[in-house]
Amino acid sequence: MTSIIDVPAAVQTAEQPPAPRRRRARTWPLVLLLLGPSAVLIVLFIVLPAVYGIWLSLTNTQLTGFAARNPKFVGFDNYAYLLGSTDFLGSLGQTGTFLFWSAIVGQTVLGMVAAILLSRPWIRGKGFFGAALLMPMVVPEVVASLTWASVLATSPEGTLNRLTAVFGSEPTAWLQTAPMLAIILVNIWRGLAFAMIMFQAALEDVPAELIEAARVDGASAVQVFRHVTLPLIRGPVFLYLLLTTISTVGVFGLVYFLTRGGPGGQTRIAAIYIYERALQFSQIGIGSAASIILLVIVVVLGFTYVRLAKVEV
Amino acid sequence: MKRKYVVAAFTATVVTAAGLTGCSAGDATSGDGTDGPVTISILESKQTNIDAISKEIPGFEAAMKEQGKDIKVDLIADVLTDEQVKTKLTQQLIAGQAPDVLDIGENMAIAWSSAGYLEPLDSYLDQWEGWEHYYPAVKEAMTRQDGQVYNLPSGAGVLNLFYRKDVLEQLGVDTTQPKTWDDLISRLEKVKAATGGTPIVIPAGTAWGGGTWGEGFQPLLGGTDTGYYDSETATWDLDTPGWLAVFELYAELVQKGLMPVQDLQNPNPWEPTKYVKFPAGDIQVSAQGTWGWKFDWGPDGATPIDGLTEKVSTWQWPGLRDGDQPYGWSSTGGGYAISADSDKKAAAFEFIKYLSSGKPLAEQLVASGAASARDDLDDVAPYSGEPQLLQAGEDLSNSVFVVTGDGADQISQAVATATELILSGQADGKQAYEAFKKDATDLLGPSLVKQ
Repeated sequence: MTSIIDVPAAVQTAEQPPAPRRRRARTWPLVLLLLGPSAVLIVLFIVLPAVYGIWLSLTNTQLTGFAARNPKFVGFDNYAYLLGSTDFLGSLGQTGTFLFWSAIVGQTVLGMVAAILLSRPWIRGKGFFGAALLMPMVVPEVVASLTWASVLATSPEGTLNRLTAVFGSEPTAWLQTAPMLAIILVNIWRGLAFAMIMFQAALEDVPAELIEAARVDGASAVQVFRHVTLPLIRGPVFLYLLLTTISTVGVFGLVYFLTRGGPGGQTRIAAIYIYERALQFSQIGIGSAASIILLVIVVVLGFTYVRLAKVEV
Repeated sequence: MKRKYVVAAFTATVVTAAGLTGCSAGDATSGDGTDGPVTISILESKQTNIDAISKEIPGFEAAMKEQGKDIKVDLIADVLTDEQVKTKLTQQLIAGQAPDVLDIGENMAIAWSSAGYLEPLDSYLDQWEGWEHYYPAVKEAMTRQDGQVYNLPSGAGVLNLFYRKDVLEQLGVDTTQPKTWDDLISRLEKVKAATGGTPIVIPAGTAWGGGTWGEGFQPLLGGTDTGYYDSETATWDLDTPGWLAVFELYAELVQKGLMPVQDLQNPNPWEPTKYVKFPAGDIQVSAQGTWGWKFDWGPDGATPIDGLTEKVSTWQWPGLRDGDQPYGWSSTGGGYAISADSDKKAAAFEFIKYLSSGKPLAEQLVASGAASARDDLDDVAPYSGEPQLLQAGEDLSNSVFVVTGDGADQISQAVATATELILSGQADGKQAYEAFKKDATDLLGPSLVKQ
């Protein structure tokens, strides 16, 4: 099926005839004045630290010990070390698992299901369900982590253990027996609301006539979703995937508070590995190199999403 | 259009001002020496120390006033774990924003002094008569690789095995000093058979942070093999046999179900073990320093045990390998230090001197449960009324201690990671030792590993 999407309004606006040169010349000081401060702050607090991070990754800088006194340029040694380190590669693998199941499968699929359900006219109590799903998003990360630490606590007083005790189960150390599953579920819980909001907004833009026409042609609900709705909301879906990939790869607090990367490194995702190397082991050079590698991976994923978002259906 | 420009200018001003406000760091009070008005800062991260230091500040300020010096102290009270303190202060020291006076542990003292973040105190100590009263062993422990002293001990302690005398007697388990670990393990197995619990806790794993090395592994290692650090070459000997023996001990304790492995893998593992199960009598033996008498289980401690001195007693660490004798492990490496970037060093040392002398020191020792590192404090109240602390002070003289240097922090991390493998069942003693060696070699780099 070929896409029959109308040209979006934003594109139409972009194609308006350009403003006269004289008018543009008159407005550029205003533009500079408005954007200048933000640009300065972005350069100061984002670009320069990032460039410094790249420089650090090429040195053997340490934060403590004699090595801290005289850091040296080591070229790509840190990168070579990391790419040959089973610990680092393992942490990338765990990041991939965490990302795939919690963000790509969990948040995106469940967020879509929630958005579709809440857009149905026959659903009652939309406000209640919407608010319930939104709540995890407004809770600060630390509070969310501590709440889940209490829910998953090893002791018989842990909320989940109280629930399972009703069925006669012995208390379980959830964060030890299934640590990766635990942090995946918590991350799904936390990110679901954002996915739902984005998909709900996208679904509202789908012309009802198209759905109606497909139905009249005898398409089932699944076929309508697969061949009509999904292609029309492809842009927001890939935008969400891009955003959730960036935010999930950067998740630190949630995992640190719940498991600190343990037990036995089973939840040592890349963010935890970088924290350990850079701040706990004081090897800021290696930590910076690990951050740059992670950045490159996220950028590659980002370009992939952007490319996929443009594919003709 | 004009209105647009006004709005734009206002927005730009607000954004710029907000950005620059974050960059500013103001400290109106400055000045070195001790003559002019000076405000020095000190960070304390444990509630007991916060309470103890805040009590001493008015006395110090008054004493300085009597000497014609106008010195004020700003106590930064920030309750944090040791790992958090280390991370936070390391950043502050690098940025030159650390408090003037730091109250730090041994590993921090080693790591920061070698990085040049701490001020050498030798020139101050040479002019202070109080320094002569410190025990020679303490002075030796304080002296870093470059021959200088960077921190003054706020107290000293002896690490031993604390045990629940009342519970063991009830269970009919021998409470005399165990000579060897085999002897102790057979007693622990009896306790386990009777209670079904996990009778002993020794810091292990990554969640315990630096305590795994400082309060568990190092006392075990140092008691059986002091050759793990070579002071002459300032290198770590990772092949010395003590390492494997200790990893195998940990593995044996875990494999026999004697250690609370799940609790040890939780964040803040000292809470379910030392603060819940030991006070309840559910864990009967715990590796613990002198501060257990006050800081952990004393009347004002984290979890008070009623009738503490009747219910709890101590054993020395049993011998691990053939020929080893029971021993105590001294803990003397931390204390007060001055940031190298402080511009109020003389005033800061005045404060350290005050805290390290007479009644102020006696009060702090009692509050934190530490023994005196000085020979002239036994008669000073309230320290003089604390038999356990006085005994610990006496025990210091025949306790074991190994002075180490640069790399202690990395060794601590590698030990934590390797013991975590044992706790999670991923490695036996030998495998954990191999993992440790690989990790430690990576972290230390070739210059700090004995070839």
